[in-house]
Amino acid sequence: MSTPSSKSPSDLQRLGGIFTKALLGIAIVLFGLEFFIHRHGVVSAEESFMFPALYGFLAFLFIVQVGKWLRLMIMRKEDYYD
Amino acid sequence: MISHMPPGLIMILAAFLLPVIPHVWRQIYMLGAIALSAYGLFLGAGTHLVWTVLGLDLILYQADALSLPFAIIFHLAAALNVIYSWHDRDWQQHCASLSYAGAAIAALHAGDLVSLFVWWEATAVTSVFLILASGTERARKAAMRYLLFQVTSGVLLLAGAAILASTSGDIRFTKMDLGDAATWLIFIAFGIKAAFPFLNGWLQDAYPEATPTGTVALSAFTTKLAIYALARGFPGTDILIWIGAAMTALPVFFAVIENDLRRVLAFSLNNQLGFMVVAVGIGTELALNGAVAHAFVHIIYKALLFMSMGAVLHQVGTIKASELGGLYKKMPFTMVCCIIGAMSISAFPLFSGFVAKSLTMSALGDAGIIWAYFVLLFASAGVLEHSGIKIPYFAFFAHDSKIETGEAPIGMRVAMGIAAFLCVGIGVFPSLLYSILPYAVDYHPYDAGHVTSQMQLLIFAMLAFVVLVRLKLYPPEIPSVVLNSDWFYRRLAPMVGLPLLRMVMLVWSGLLQQMRGLVNAIWDRLDRIMHSPLAGPTVSGRAVLIQAGLLTLLLLIAYAAAG
Repeated sequence: MSTPSSKSPSDLQRLGGIFTKALLGIAIVLFGLEFFIHRHGVVSAEESFMFPALYGFLAFLFIVQVGKWLRLMIMRKEDYYD
Repeated sequence: MISHMPPGLIMILAAFLLPVIPHVWRQIYMLGAIALSAYGLFLGAGTHLVWTVLGLDLILYQADALSLPFAIIFHLAAALNVIYSWHDRDWQQHCASLSYAGAAIAALHAGDLVSLFVWWEATAVTSVFLILASGTERARKAAMRYLLFQVTSGVLLLAGAAILASTSGDIRFTKMDLGDAATWLIFIAFGIKAAFPFLNGWLQDAYPEATPTGTVALSAFTTKLAIYALARGFPGTDILIWIGAAMTALPVFFAVIENDLRRVLAFSLNNQLGFMVVAVGIGTELALNGAVAHAFVHIIYKALLFMSMGAVLHQVGTIKASELGGLYKKMPFTMVCCIIGAMSISAFPLFSGFVAKSLTMSALGDAGIIWAYFVLLFASAGVLEHSGIKIPYFAFFAHDSKIETGEAPIGMRVAMGIAAFLCVGIGVFPSLLYSILPYAVDYHPYDAGHVTSQMQLLIFAMLAFVVLVRLKLYPPEIPSVVLNSDWFYRRLAPMVGLPLLRMVMLVWSGLLQQMRGLVNAIWDRLDRIMHSPLAGPTVSGRAVLIQAGLLTLLLLIAYAAAG
C-alpha cells in the first residue's frame, strides 16, 4: 500500500514482462504437447496442427480490429443521450 | 405447511418486515428467509399446490429435474447477494432484492402460464427499484425504459396464455411447438427477458445504472429465468440456434470498445446467454444439460465479476476503464477474485466455465451443427477478450491511475471469496454439478485432447493481446457511449417520430383552419340573406335563424310521423 506511486509504472511493466514470459512458456509447452496428444475435432480441419491456437489468435485479432472499425460508426460522446 | 408453500413466496412475504428490522439483524433475517425457502425444495419433484380459480387450475408449486438446479442456484445467488450487501443500511434495496429473488424462485415453480405471468411481472416491478436506488436522473430514465420492456414481455406472455386458454383451455406450462400466434407471443415474451438480438437494449442500458449491489442481484435472476422458461417451453426449437449464435458473436464487438466496465459485463452477459440459447435450441439431453450447467456456473462467475467491479465502484466511485488502472496493489483480494471470475468465464480448465461449456460444445459437435460450433468457438475467444482480459486488465493493471483506495468492506470480500471458491470447486469437481443436472450425465471434460485444445485457443488468444499491447495497437479506452439496439427507441424513434408528429399536427391545424374558413363563408352568405331577403321580414340574428331552422325540422318530422 505504501509503495511510492512513481515506482508503480515500472512495477506494472515488470509484471507485464513476467506475464508475457509465462504465456510464452505455456505456449511452448502446448506446442510440444501437440506432437504427443491426439486432439479430437468435430471436423478434420480442427485436428490439423495447432488449429485451436491459430483460430484463437486470429479470432482475437479480428475482434479487436472490427472493434476499432465499429468505433468509427457507433462511438459517441459521453453526453450523447443527455 | 411452509414446505407446501411455493419456494420463493416466503421470501416475498419476509420482505414486508424488512423496514422495521434494524441493520445487521436484517441481513441475518434475510438469510433465514432464504434458508426457509430453500427448505421447501426438499419436498422433491411433483405437483404440490394447485389453486382452482375461475375454472383455471393454477399450479403454484410444481418441481422437477429442470426446476431444481435453477432453484438451488437462485437461492445461492440470493444468499450471496445478502452477504455482499452486508454493509448496506438502505432497507429499500434489501426489500427489492429479496422479493425480486423470491419472485424469480416462485416463477421457477409455476406449473401454468398464468402463475408464471404473475411471477414474471413480479420480477420486473421488484427489480426496477434496484436501478432506481442509484438516485440519479440517468438511472431513473433507464429504470423506466427497463420497466417498459419487462412489462411488455409480461403482457405478451399473458396474451399468449389467454389465447391458449380460450382455444384449448390448457394453460399448463409444458413444451410448445412454435407455430400459432399464442406460441409466438410467448416465445417473444421469453425472448425479451433472454435479451435476444434487438430485444436486448434494456440489459446493457439498465444493469450498469443500478447500484453496486443491485447489479449483482440483477445479473442473476431475470435472464436466467428466461433461459429456464425457454428450456421448458421451447427445447429443440431450431431457430434458437440461429438466435443464440448471433447472441454469442455480436456483443463481443461492442464489449471491446465499451468504456464502462459494468456495461462490458452486461455485453458479456448477453454473449453468455447466447451459449445457453444455442444449447436449448439443440434440445438433446446433453445440450439441455449444457444449458442448465452453463446457467448454474454462469450465475456464480458473472456475479463474482459484477461483485468485483461493484467493489471497485464502491471504493473508487467510478467504473470507467479510462479512469481506472493499477489497482492491483490497493485491492489485491478483489483483483484475485476478479481474475478467478475471469478465468471461469473464459473456460480455463479447472474453472467452472470449462466443465459447463464443454457440454454445449460437445452437443453441438454430436448434432453436427458445424457452423454454430465454429461461431461459438469464435465467441469463446471473444469472452476471453472482454471478460477474461479487458475487465481485470483495465481495472487492476493497464496504467497507474494514482487512485488512493483500500479493499472493499468485509461483506463484499466474503461474498466474493465464496463465489471464487465455488468457481474453482466446481471446476475441479464437476461431478458435483453434473449430479444435479436434469438428465443422467456420462461426460468427462478432462481428457487430454480436450484440455489442450481449449488451452491452445485461450493461450494463443492471450498472446494476440500481448502482441497488440506491445505494438501499441490495442485500442485505448476512450470516455464514450457505444450505441446499441436501445438507440432505435432512444434516438431513432424520436428523430423520425417527432418530425412525423409535427407534420401530422401541421396538417391537422391546416385542416382546422380550412374548416373554420368554410364555416365563416357559409355564415357570411346566410347573414347576407338574413339582412336582405328576397321577400318577407329580415331575421334579427344567427340564433333566431338556428331556432327557426330547428323548428322547421321538427315540424317536418312531426308531419312525417303523423303521415
